[in-house]
Amino acid sequence: MNLRVETQNPREGVAVIALGGEVDVYTSPRVKQEIVNLLNAGTPKMVVDLTGVEYLDSTGLGVLIGGLKRARERDGDLKLVCDNTRILRIFEITGLTKIFDIYRSSADALDKL
Amino acid sequence: MSETLPLAEVTLTIPSRPEYVGVARLAILGVASRMRFSYDEVEDIRLAVGEACTNAIDRLNGSGATERPISLTCTIDANRLMIEARSPLASTPPRPRSTEEADLDNLMEGKELSGVLIRILMDEVESEEDASAGIHLLRMVKYVAR
Repeated sequence: MNLRVETQNPREGVAVIALGGEVDVYTSPRVKQEIVNLLNAGTPKMVVDLTGVEYLDSTGLGVLIGGLKRARERDGDLKLVCDNTRILRIFEITGLTKIFDIYRSSADALDKL
Repeated sequence: MSETLPLAEVTLTIPSRPEYVGVARLAILGVASRMRFSYDEVEDIRLAVGEACTNAIDRLNGSGATERPISLTCTIDANRLMIEARSPLASTPPRPRSTEEADLDNLMEGKELSGVLIRILMDEVESEEDASAGIHLLRMVKYVAR
């Protein structure tokens, strides 16, 4: 599976999920599970760092949208980090830049959580 | 008047399973890279083909037709690439998902986004179903910029 998932808790109730590789129909269930596990463990505020992601499809977008919805239902939030123009373009052409807060670095995203 | 023959045709068949969508993406990357597409256009085609395969797998999920493969035919011309994705029509209705499961997967968002992406990324998109043959056809065309 060409997906890397690394999660850190920089402070209580806050997580940073760093993804790498390909987030597609095959690998996105792993990402969804990571988000669900964090929410169930009482971590409703999270940053998903897409810096290492080389490929993202609609399934991955769906998982991120679901994560954002569920985080907000728990008074949390899900912010994204991305500096890859190819990946950013997918958010732009689907209109998802209006839904997600996207930052250039994890530090910037954490400041806004 | 006779039709112009394509320069080349490449056909790939993959199982209707998520782990093989990456194989289709790699293959189309190789095909599109041999044409006069820009880097961004090649990436657009790769994403569109991945979405086409994902759509087919989603549609077949729980239908009992996943043993039948997805076929991709790439017709290479001087000024365009046509990709025809043929997938089996579901022989039985897809397995119903519980509300909770559907919510967790956020399937609707993904499916809607998939169609949006394909239409934006490719120059021409059309789909049709042949019920007698049990085939769903998605035809996508990308033109080489002049």
